Amino acid sequence: MTAVQKRIIINKLALAFSTLSAIIALAFLFWILGVLVMKGVHALNWNIFIYEGSPPGYAESGLKHALVGQLILVGLATFIGVPLGILAGTYLSEYGKNSKLAHTIRDISDIMMSAPSIVIGAFVYAVVVMPMGHFSAWAGAIALAIIMIPVILRTTDDMLQLVPGTLREAAFALGAPKYKVIIDIVYRGAKAGILTGVLLGIARVGGETAPLLFTSFNDNFFTTDLNEAMPSLTVTMFNYAISPYDDWQQLGWAAAFILSMFILGLNIMGRLILLMGKRK
Amino acid sequence: MASIIDIKDECALHVRDFEFTYKGAAAPSLKKVSMPIAKHSVTALIGPSGCGKTTLLRSFNRMHDLYPGNTYNGEIEFEGRNILNPKEDLIHLRTKIGMIFQKPTAFPMSIFDNVAYGMRLQGIKNKSELEGRVEKALQDAALWKEVKDRLKHDANGLSGGQQQRLCIARAIAVEPEVLLFDEPTSALDPISTQGIEKLVIELKERVSIIIVTHNMQQAARVSDYTGFMYLGELIELGHTEELFVTPKEKLTQEYITGKFG
Repeated sequence: MTAVQKRIIINKLALAFSTLSAIIALAFLFWILGVLVMKGVHALNWNIFIYEGSPPGYAESGLKHALVGQLILVGLATFIGVPLGILAGTYLSEYGKNSKLAHTIRDISDIMMSAPSIVIGAFVYAVVVMPMGHFSAWAGAIALAIIMIPVILRTTDDMLQLVPGTLREAAFALGAPKYKVIIDIVYRGAKAGILTGVLLGIARVGGETAPLLFTSFNDNFFTTDLNEAMPSLTVTMFNYAISPYDDWQQLGWAAAFILSMFILGLNIMGRLILLMGKRK
Repeated sequence: MASIIDIKDECALHVRDFEFTYKGAAAPSLKKVSMPIAKHSVTALIGPSGCGKTTLLRSFNRMHDLYPGNTYNGEIEFEGRNILNPKEDLIHLRTKIGMIFQKPTAFPMSIFDNVAYGMRLQGIKNKSELEGRVEKALQDAALWKEVKDRLKHDANGLSGGQQQRLCIARAIAVEPEVLLFDEPTSALDPISTQGIEKLVIELKERVSIIIVTHNMQQAARVSDYTGFMYLGELIELGHTEELFVTPKEKLTQEYITGKFG
């Protein structure tokens, strides 16, 4: 066997192994998604969107409470987290740049991004739930916002830095003050990237259960009171899935399906926006 | 010793004993540069890479101030004051001394909004005034015919040469006294280059122009005065024809005949 033949064989082997590994990894993903879609679609019906939770055994039970609660929690978290994340990212890219403070913030943010979300839940329990004396939607939203901020901060920082420095200089050369340069030129140039970061940030917190367990807690009934415990799809799913009742378990599947599709949709949308922004 | 001609006509700018040091650098990048910049004419700055011509150009609108830690010394006189004064209003200065960059810098907005940007910064909101002045600026930049039917389109859809003319339109729309060109054609094809050069010659009726170029033919074609810089010093400033035909300094002669650089 010549050296070249040997290399060809090794090449083919490496290719075969890496392909096999990819297939195995993806197989699990599709297995999970497949089961989720089959069971989830089966469990879907209109009652889910019309009725709130009820004790097991009632025909008229649904997930309206958890769906609305989920939207409120994620919406409120977005409302808190997006401005903070974008402004902090703007500071890093436009003001802090390579200063020591900026690097420290970036490092801490990166650590925060990989912090176990239950730790953040415990933190919010200590600083919000304890002083308030009860669970609340506010506490849940704050916990989600804390998880969301590093994601948005990092993408904003990265995306703003992609805007060429000459574009900033050109605006300064026309006599623009710094805040105008940032708003008119830098944000505009990076808007697809920032929007993607926001969507990915929302997707990141949309599926969180742990930080909600002892912040917004859960409830089986419909509520819009932000000072009360608030149901969410994730915690409801958790409770229903471990219950021994078949109809609750069915609702759990439906919740899992709806949530997964919501997050999948956000991720796809985020990537599409980035793609379209690049193509222009 | 440097040979600097004395310009009898009115001057737009006067540089006197100007020194510039970048942040953290041990030695100044510009050493005791003194030169007059004639009004309503084109002054070209030539010299090998790293000679300080772009550094000098970016001092005229205090562009270096965007990056903290640089130091200016000496004097650049403009409209009767030293613009190196730390109290100089940079926003006002930059509306008086505009700049065109090496690479076209079309903002991510429509063609119209690009040209209107500087005027809007100055608080002009009146729609018909904006429209009139945008059209005038685009006409002066020889771009109006090509873009008049698509003013609302994204400026990044224009070609490189068109974008560079758009940048010129944007700069002249605010009616500056001086325009700084930093190698404005080095990213363009020959035909676009010709267009820009023609524009530079036309514009000197209204503004004083300083142009940095790597291309000596370009300096010879467009400029009235040429300054040759080497290692942070201004070696010679003279009428363009004289400098290229009968340079007074040996270094200048060696550079323009291609012995180094």
